[in-house]
Amino acid sequence: MSYSVGNEALKEKVVEVIDVTVRINNLIVLDKVSVDVDRGDVLGIVGPNGGGKTTLLNAVLGLIPIESGQIRLFGTDIRRFKDFHKVGYVAQNAIQFDPIFPATVREIVSLGCLNRARLGRRLGKEQNEEVEKAIDLMGLRNVADRKISDLSGGQKQRIFIAKALVRKPKLLLLDEATAGLDQCMQDHFHNLLRFLKSEYGISVMTVNHDLSGVICQANKLAVVNRQLHYTPITPGLDPSKMLQDAYGEHFTFIFHHDHQTCQAPEASTITIKEGGS
Amino acid sequence: MLDIGGLFAYEFFQRAFLAGICSALLCAALGVFIVLKRASLIGEGIAHLSFGGIAIGLVLAVYPLYTALILALVGTLLISLLNRSKIVYSETAIGLMFSAGLAIGAVLASVGGGFSVDLFAYLFGSLLTVSPQDLQIIVLLTLIALIFIGVFYKELVLMTFDERSAHLSGVPVVAFEVAFNVLVALAVVASIKIVGALLVSALLITPAASAMQLSGSFKGTMLSAFVLGLFSVMAGMLVSFYFDLATGGAIVLIGLLVFGVCVAVRKLFKLGKRELAPDTICAHGMQETRFEAKDGSGEKDV
Repeated sequence: MSYSVGNEALKEKVVEVIDVTVRINNLIVLDKVSVDVDRGDVLGIVGPNGGGKTTLLNAVLGLIPIESGQIRLFGTDIRRFKDFHKVGYVAQNAIQFDPIFPATVREIVSLGCLNRARLGRRLGKEQNEEVEKAIDLMGLRNVADRKISDLSGGQKQRIFIAKALVRKPKLLLLDEATAGLDQCMQDHFHNLLRFLKSEYGISVMTVNHDLSGVICQANKLAVVNRQLHYTPITPGLDPSKMLQDAYGEHFTFIFHHDHQTCQAPEASTITIKEGGS
Repeated sequence: MLDIGGLFAYEFFQRAFLAGICSALLCAALGVFIVLKRASLIGEGIAHLSFGGIAIGLVLAVYPLYTALILALVGTLLISLLNRSKIVYSETAIGLMFSAGLAIGAVLASVGGGFSVDLFAYLFGSLLTVSPQDLQIIVLLTLIALIFIGVFYKELVLMTFDERSAHLSGVPVVAFEVAFNVLVALAVVASIKIVGALLVSALLITPAASAMQLSGSFKGTMLSAFVLGLFSVMAGMLVSFYFDLATGGAIVLIGLLVFGVCVAVRKLFKLGKRELAPDTICAHGMQETRFEAKDGSGEKDV
């Protein structure tokens, strides 16, 4: 498996986070963090709960103000950035929507087509085709006309991923997007990410607690716990030191699978064993 | 036997009927969004503010729907301002406006003693009092509101479903919220003559609540709300005319009856208890996933 983007000519800065500090309720949540995402990069973000992973994504999306530093999306300062149709986002708690909300899968996925330039305009043929394509990509064809609350947690999660993909984003931000998906669907989703990366040069920032998933899918790893430790992922990389810095010394990391090939003969997870020696 | 054809020979009933259709369509359309935003009380707040505005109009001898509209719009903007600036919770802001409207109405009613009959018609609605000028205003307000909803339907759905997602999609969320609340103010003022200030919020809520029992899609819910709202208003007006009942009360009681029937239908046919939809991707265990390459070169292993 190759971890590199492959074509240096494609290297263009998609996300630049430069010395960013975020303070929420007088508490510093991110402290002078810096990280870049180039075109085609998959940046895996891990870290302990409350470490600032979601805050980092929210700051990149301009949803929360930053105290100092700078964030640029596609070269434009986030405070002036308007091209959000280039950005797809799946929120951490996306599936916790109102259970009686009357909407079908197709209706929700089609909402992903909305953007500032198309306000008040009906979806055209091209948008409708993209909706159907996203429904197929996420395996939702047989439930496209079902009410969203009739679906399982994994299917609901895929609706939101389809909604994010339907606008053909250049940058995809995923906040624990595979939480609630079974192993087969996680594999399906990782295959999809690989496909989007190779075919469309799409860049991804993905927050995930599944370290093996991150290491197998990403080409860059960021460990966030108020500060950000960052490394390119290369075959044979041992992130133990970085992870221990972020999680604390009382964790032991046990790798279950062949890290070189990302093959997992028995179990494809990395266990974080709390209270280990 | 009811002579419905003969009823439409009366000009006042023609006007009231047209105004009722406008109110029903307008309130049903807005009501679906209001109920799903869990903001059902906003109609109540704005309606009571309008009541204060009507009292001002009657005291000043100005056309009361104008003063009602002005006070409703001012109150709407104040609710948005108080809520967005996080000075108070949304329902507290609505409660404040509610109280203000009722207090203004009560004080002015005691000052102006002579307009108590008119005020009663505005409080509970009356078929007899829809003037040609009222009808013009009601039709105009309805057209404005329905065109806005028709044009920005998807944006309003997304805002209702997930405001953060709407913001990231470039929808000017604050502007749309203000615009939506203004529409609610227009709907309330347009409906006061038919159902009255005290019952207008029921016209906003009941068709939407009933429709949600029957439909699984947003579009279906909107269409059902239109049909159920129209039915309640038309049936309520006829009942009100033939049995000499307060129009607003008759319309709302029929709306509540329709809601009860919809809940019963839902329970009876288990509309809301459908089995979980089957998942096909992983139905047969782990499998290879193939995606089609964009260059049309066929499927591609990944």
